[in-house]
Amino acid sequence: MDVTVDVVGGGERECVLEDGATYADLIRAAGFHPQEASVLVDGSPVPGDRPVDADRVRLLRLIQGGSNDHLEAEG
Amino acid sequence: MYRSRVFSTVLEFTRAAYDAVVDHARRGEPREVCGVLAGMRGAPDSEDADRAESLVTEALPTENVAERPETRYRIDPEELFAVVESIEGDGLEVVGFYHSHPAGPPRPSETDVARATWTDHSYAICALDGHPFVGSWRWRGTDEGFDREVVAVRSERSDA
Repeated sequence: MDVTVDVVGGGERECVLEDGATYADLIRAAGFHPQEASVLVDGSPVPGDRPVDADRVRLLRLIQGGSNDHLEAEG
Repeated sequence: MYRSRVFSTVLEFTRAAYDAVVDHARRGEPREVCGVLAGMRGAPDSEDADRAESLVTEALPTENVAERPETRYRIDPEELFAVVESIEGDGLEVVGFYHSHPAGPPRPSETDVARATWTDHSYAICALDGHPFVGSWRWRGTDEGFDREVVAVRSERSDA
């Protein structure tokens, strides 16, 4: 399936996905890691394990970081 | 890690916006604070010299929803999206983002480098491991990393 991804603040890109792909797959196809971006529907993030059910989505690159140099699991 | 190359971009703040970042950082101690910088984002690769500088006219604070806010920051996606929509609705641009390092360092950490995502936007850091220091770095992408920017403040005094 073809999906148009509107990257908030970053233009649009087209992604081609296999049938049954999830939103996490879509995020990767758009060039991001699922931990660094979220797909939004009506302004709210959708779970990464949900199958893609739209042909046009909005992707938000997340803003996070911190002073600690150690990259452990973070909230 | 970032590379300390020749400065290629300038991030100018209005005095009010600059002070808002520092005030927010101080109020948040010992936790990190974060927010979005709005104004006019420069295009450093433009041939128009007037477009090379970014101007921050508003510093919009957001909640830090990280589980360990003393050393981490994270803007809630729903709030981030709402703030971005609000900025664009006001006819402004998202220039970048800011956060604080209450105990330093006065530069992006390895975590900041690993988590940066908005290419060609400014990431400003207010470090409070001494007198407040506000630095800024422009994210160039995973391969190029951060480029240090010159931070400037536009005085609002008529004689300055």
